[in-house]
Amino acid sequence: MSKAVIELRDVVRRYPGDPPVESLREVTLRVEPGELLAVMGPSGSGKTTLLHIAGTLDRPSSGSVRIDGVDTSSMNDGQLSGFRATRLGFVFQQFYLIEGMTVLDNVAAGLLYRGVDGRQRRRQAAVALERVGLGHRLVHRPAQLSGGERQRTAIARAVVGRPKVVLADEPTGNLDSASGIAIVELLRDLHRDGTTVIVITHSPVVAGAMDRRVELMDGRVERDTGGPSHA
Amino acid sequence: MRDTSRLAAADLLALASLGLRMRRLRAALSALGISIGVAAIVGVLGITQSSQSDLLAQIDRLGTNLLTVQNGRQFNGGEAKLPTAARLMIGHIPAVEHVSATALLTGAVYRSDLVPSYETGGIGVRATDVALLDTLNGRVLHGTFLNAAMANYPATVLGFGAARYLGIDRLDEPTRIWIGRRWFTVVGILEPLPLAPEIDQSALIGWPIAQSALAFDGFPTRIYVWAATDQVGAVDAILGATANPENPEQVAVSRPSDALAARLAVQSSSTTLIIGLGAIALLVGGVGIANVMFVSVLERRSEIGLRRALGATRPQIAAQFLAESLLLSTIGGIIGVAAGTIATAGYATLQGWTILIPPTGWAALIAAIAIGAVAGLYPALRAARLAPTDALRST
Ligand SMILES: Nc1ncnc2c1ncn2[C@@H]1O[C@H](COP(=O)(O)OP(=O)(O)OP(=O)(O)O)[C@@H](O)[C@H]1O
Ligand SMILES: [Mg+2]
Repeated sequence: MSKAVIELRDVVRRYPGDPPVESLREVTLRVEPGELLAVMGPSGSGKTTLLHIAGTLDRPSSGSVRIDGVDTSSMNDGQLSGFRATRLGFVFQQFYLIEGMTVLDNVAAGLLYRGVDGRQRRRQAAVALERVGLGHRLVHRPAQLSGGERQRTAIARAVVGRPKVVLADEPTGNLDSASGIAIVELLRDLHRDGTTVIVITHSPVVAGAMDRRVELMDGRVERDTGGPSHA
Repeated sequence: MRDTSRLAAADLLALASLGLRMRRLRAALSALGISIGVAAIVGVLGITQSSQSDLLAQIDRLGTNLLTVQNGRQFNGGEAKLPTAARLMIGHIPAVEHVSATALLTGAVYRSDLVPSYETGGIGVRATDVALLDTLNGRVLHGTFLNAAMANYPATVLGFGAARYLGIDRLDEPTRIWIGRRWFTVVGILEPLPLAPEIDQSALIGWPIAQSALAFDGFPTRIYVWAATDQVGAVDAILGATANPENPEQVAVSRPSDALAARLAVQSSSTTLIIGLGAIALLVGGVGIANVMFVSVLERRSEIGLRRALGATRPQIAAQFLAESLLLSTIGGIIGVAAGTIATAGYATLQGWTILIPPTGWAALIAAIAIGAVAGLYPALRAARLAPTDALRST
């Protein structure tokens, strides 16, 4: 059996309260290297929680998370941060571009916490922006871009360090369908280059463009079209 | 684990300035409090230090050898009499290098006989012996001082202030002034005498002419004594008994240089007050910075979440906000030092002093930076403690 790039086993995420909320209930999910995966499900079903836990931004209340075969439960915050800096790339629905910086610097920030020097960061950022079709927008401010251009900038930032896994939380949710299709094309591009891509989406069109679909319902995996294993 | 987050120091500085560049006005206003505090401290310390060093130099130049002897019982506005023998007796003290007697006369000074008599001005008429200039260690600005021959004639020497008051600034042409009931020729004008301001404001005439023309009774009212440098205290102690052996307790001996020295002490105490106010301004500035940093952390929650997703560790997030606060207070402090220095330089130049910025002024800058560190610490820790998921869910 090849090493899974992300492996969740019996993951529960419980928020204390009265009554306590469980956004994930014993989720088991195995993602092989190079997969192109869509996570679907109604609002509140736990998709974002799943993405945060798979991306080490959150820890499960119980169950285990392995990334590249490494158990994350024994890692401290600094080690997890290092993991994110070097192996994971995130794309968010709200883009989260920093307004005080140019498009180029926003993308270069994707390499900031790897200790890459500034000139090298900008060079790689320019390449990444070229790749998402924004080579002519380097010195613009995020506020001067359209929604689709902003999301492409955010994708460039996520991939500028060539991470193993890209995790995208509704990257097309704020975009019209044409822009959305362009984003899907970009994600398929990454997949062709060997990057593992996990996309949360409400859109059947986007989900249809992915190789595998996982559906969540009430914090449980309801359906998994191509998962190699189930608990 | 080889996958570690790294952040270069140069990048940290750029991160620190990012928040300030995004909110320039807010940053400027919060740095202003620090600037005001530091400027007040540096300016006040600089100005007093420059002024004090000037005073000290002045005291040094004038010497502390001069003593004045007066009758302690004054009557309204005038000076009481001393025994006629006082001058001679004082002259016998071995440590006395010069002694000179003067007497304040009643009678007014006018530029001409046409000025109405109620315009007496602040000028006094004093009879003096011819040793006065040496005793006061003074110099003439124009003309000459009185000598033994001139003392018999209606000749007068004006103190610097008196000449200015009368509008006499040169003696190229024969100049006369009206004293009592007759004309006196001005033969000299003195340079300023900081240790004898009463002479500065006087018209001096010879002892004999005062007796013959102005009905002067010959009793001195103020005697000036120049003592040997290391004997001033000893001379001071015996002057009273020497000047008036019968009633030594009536004699008041003073050392004019003490008045200058007293100004040093007065300045020091008002300086402490203003420095205290400057320190309060610094503290208030620190509170302002803490406030701005809290707001900044709140506003930038999603940026914090994003940076955590990009791989920033908690210490790196804390460092970013702490550096921002430090940068803010350092800029404020540097502007404050510059403003305080410029104020000092301007004022000192205006006064003709040498410019001195005491090292305590730099301590104000260090205090400002320390305040920035303290003010930024808690907001920075709050930013670092923020869970990435909470930060990302906040918008
Ligand atoms: N910090 C929290 N405290 C309590 N409950 C939480 C917290 N975070 C998330 N939840 C709950 O967990 C559940 C799953 O949330 P999640 O954001 O993962 O859903 P989602 O599938 O991404 O929904 P959407 O499609 O609307 O984005 C929700 O019911 C939410 O209210
Ligand atoms: Mg969601």
